[in-house]
Amino acid sequence: MIIPVRCFTCGKLIADKWEEFAIRVKAGENPAEVLDSLGLKRYCCRRMILSHVDIIDEILRFHEEAEKRKEARRRYYQE
Amino acid sequence: MLELKTLESDETNLRLLVTGVDTPYINAIRRIVLTEVPCMAIDEVVIIENSSVLHDEIIAHRLGLIPIKTDLDGYNLPEECSCRSEFGCNLCRVTFTLDREAKDEPVTVYSGDLVSENPNIAPVSDKIPIVKLGRGQKLKLEAYARLGRGKNHAKWQPVSLSAHKHLPKIRIDAEKCNACGKCVETCPRKVLAKSKGKVEVVDLYACTMCRDCVDACPEEPSAIEVNWEKNAFIFILESTGALPPERIITEAVKILDRQLKEFTDQIAEVQKA
Ligand code: SF4
Ligand code: SF4
Ligand SMILES: [Zn+2]
Ligand SMILES: [Zn+2]
Repeated sequence: MIIPVRCFTCGKLIADKWEEFAIRVKAGENPAEVLDSLGLKRYCCRRMILSHVDIIDEILRFHEEAEKRKEARRRYYQE
Repeated sequence: MLELKTLESDETNLRLLVTGVDTPYINAIRRIVLTEVPCMAIDEVVIIENSSVLHDEIIAHRLGLIPIKTDLDGYNLPEECSCRSEFGCNLCRVTFTLDREAKDEPVTVYSGDLVSENPNIAPVSDKIPIVKLGRGQKLKLEAYARLGRGKNHAKWQPVSLSAHKHLPKIRIDAEKCNACGKCVETCPRKVLAKSKGKVEVVDLYACTMCRDCVDACPEEPSAIEVNWEKNAFIFILESTGALPPERIITEAVKILDRQLKEFTDQIAEVQKA
């Protein structure tokens, strides 16, 4: 859904590193090196970032579609 | 004789070489750091409006896990505070407010959007995403942070790592060793190195005592021996940012002191009776 605030295993703060990781990896950097430079040493914290899928943007699209439909229905009944 | 040596130290990490103590001693400190040293975390959240895609409970949980810079001298633990109030007073509670709305564009609500009543008590990072809001969604809440202890909830642990390990002892028998370099190749932590036809230990503290080097040695019995020192430990501490690591250790020792004092007081009373 959205990046967890802390590592499930050790409790290190990881959420503030996700966006930088996503941007840099998309730009073509090596994920392992990005993780090193973000200070994530243990494999428990590294898997938190590596295995994360940020689907909240997708969920937001459902919200927007629902809003559009509501709007359309409102117009229909007005006419 | 107890002896301390700092191997590594920065704002969040501390690595100490502790010699002259035994396992129960160092383990007591490790566990007190995890369970007894207080730090601040959001404990109660009043949601005024939440039309985001995350439930109130999830947002409250995410807020609770945000590490918060703690002022141990300025605030009391709620159970020790003189106010005796369930809700708390200015000496045992910090209020945060948050009010964000996505108008035309989706926005991400960050920990930096939390407004604290005391500027010294703030999230350790401003870039922690709390939730994303779609067009027209709104999040408005009030959150109350308190001091607490790790034994009640992990959000009150001031550290993300508190551990100790034995100091390794690596002995290479110069007479048996033929300097083939197999151990140097095998070592996953690059502890060993070959120089001038001899194998040397170059990074002793990195050794995990896996003994792969012993297995790799072609000599029979092995020319390299890995063991550990009896009364020497490497103590590793990684703060979440709530408190400086040195402060965490001194606080842990103070707490241990207080507990032992309580113990001796009780013993004196028992003897009197
Ligand atoms: S015990 Fe393991 S880590 Fe230590 S020197 Fe041997 S191979 Fe390296
Ligand atoms: S593997 Fe054994 S013999 Fe070869 S260099 Fe290492 S200690 Fe010496
Ligand atoms: Zn971790
Ligand atoms: Zn109080």
